[in-house]
Amino acid sequence: MPEHDKPKLQPGECIPWEQRVKEYARILGDEEVVKKVWKETDMLAYLYIWACLIQF
Amino acid sequence: MLNATYAQRGQRMSEQMEQLYGERLQRYVAAMRNEKPDRVPIRPFAAEFAAKYAGFTNQEVTHDIDKAFAAIRKCAADFDWDATVGNMVYVWTGLVDAFGTNYYTIPGIGTPPDAAFQYIEPPDEATAHMKADEYDAFIDDPTGFLANVWLPRISNDVVPPGQPSTYRNNLAFLKGGMAMLDYFSKFGAQVGALQAESGTVHAIAGCLKAPFDILADKLRGFRQLCADIHRRPEKVLAACEALRPHMMFNALSGADPTGNVPIAIWLHRGCTPFLSPKAFETFFWPTCKKIIEDIYAEGHQVLFYAEGDWNANLKYIAELTDKSIIFHVDRADIFEVHKAVGHKFALSGGVPNDLLTYATPDEVREHCKKVIDGVAADGGYIMDAGAIMQDDAKIENVQAMTEATREYGAY
Repeated sequence: MPEHDKPKLQPGECIPWEQRVKEYARILGDEEVVKKVWKETDMLAYLYIWACLIQF
Repeated sequence: MLNATYAQRGQRMSEQMEQLYGERLQRYVAAMRNEKPDRVPIRPFAAEFAAKYAGFTNQEVTHDIDKAFAAIRKCAADFDWDATVGNMVYVWTGLVDAFGTNYYTIPGIGTPPDAAFQYIEPPDEATAHMKADEYDAFIDDPTGFLANVWLPRISNDVVPPGQPSTYRNNLAFLKGGMAMLDYFSKFGAQVGALQAESGTVHAIAGCLKAPFDILADKLRGFRQLCADIHRRPEKVLAACEALRPHMMFNALSGADPTGNVPIAIWLHRGCTPFLSPKAFETFFWPTCKKIIEDIYAEGHQVLFYAEGDWNANLKYIAELTDKSIIFHVDRADIFEVHKAVGHKFALSGGVPNDLLTYATPDEVREHCKKVIDGVAADGGYIMDAGAIMQDDAKIENVQAMTEATREYGAY
């Protein structure tokens, strides 16, 4: 993705859903299910990075 | 994980322990709300002291998390503390060594097995984890900067994007992630074990740092940051502001959903002689204050763990909303603190660590009585050492602090 198209990361995000959803060819089922699981796991990566900075 | 119920943790607590835990929680929470409980609660934070008391070396509790947890549980049970923290030797090598973290010296590796771990702060621009000309990149994308620039610098194994990946790089993230999962899973069980075994309250939930402290400790190094506040002050302010929502998010992610126990903010460089009151007012305080106010609006108190002597900054602390913090006193005069902000906030601490190291038990007892008489008459006080107790604290003095709290702290 070109640098100028890179979305601003919000707290809790490493790869925003808005970026990820464009990468699927199509979603045939419930998009909300895919989105929820993506965001939850993405947040774990975020918390890992920030915990290294803040706690360890 | 910290806030799971006993049933969720798969542990059973006896009725006796359940009652004891309830009494302690009520006592601790009442004091933190600046109210008068049945008696003064005691809430020591024990690091290497717990190892000494339990018969472990510093190396053992730094490397073996199960021994670190066992040491705290033994202290909590034997000393009859109302609240404590499950582990204060936070440099668990199972995590930091797995990730190749290079800013610690570890007992048994970089220092003798009976020494405490040390943080190696970048002493100059060449070793800074964030360079002076990288402020804009950090401000633009803090998470991306940490992942792409900071982590490769603070790890011996992680390679930056664009460089050929390595076996050690891949394993660093795999092992680091698994180790952190393991640590916090065990920490949740530790909270349950403290409750079940000794009715002890876990004193805090959620970790917070001031944005300026993060810049000083982990990114620029304090020496470089001191130059920055003169050479590029607008960048320092913008970096603090960029950190603010992330500090808030991370603190709330670990907070107690019941709002009973506070989020702890560990304050490092805001006090004299590190910063002048003017520098504090300009650089340290605005974002720190905003985070605390926003967290309180979300229903959580903040344990304001003011390391050093913060009395020069009390007029700023007094700006905070009543009861939003519990002001912890380390090197400052607790009687001055009580006079200045005791009507607004509960206090904790005020027992100097050097007293626990060098004084006699009678002298400790006398000091604890003086503190209780001077600041706890109307409630709103929690007994504790000024700072986290390391292995220089004498066991008999910690015992004296505990006994004096019970003897003189009844209302």
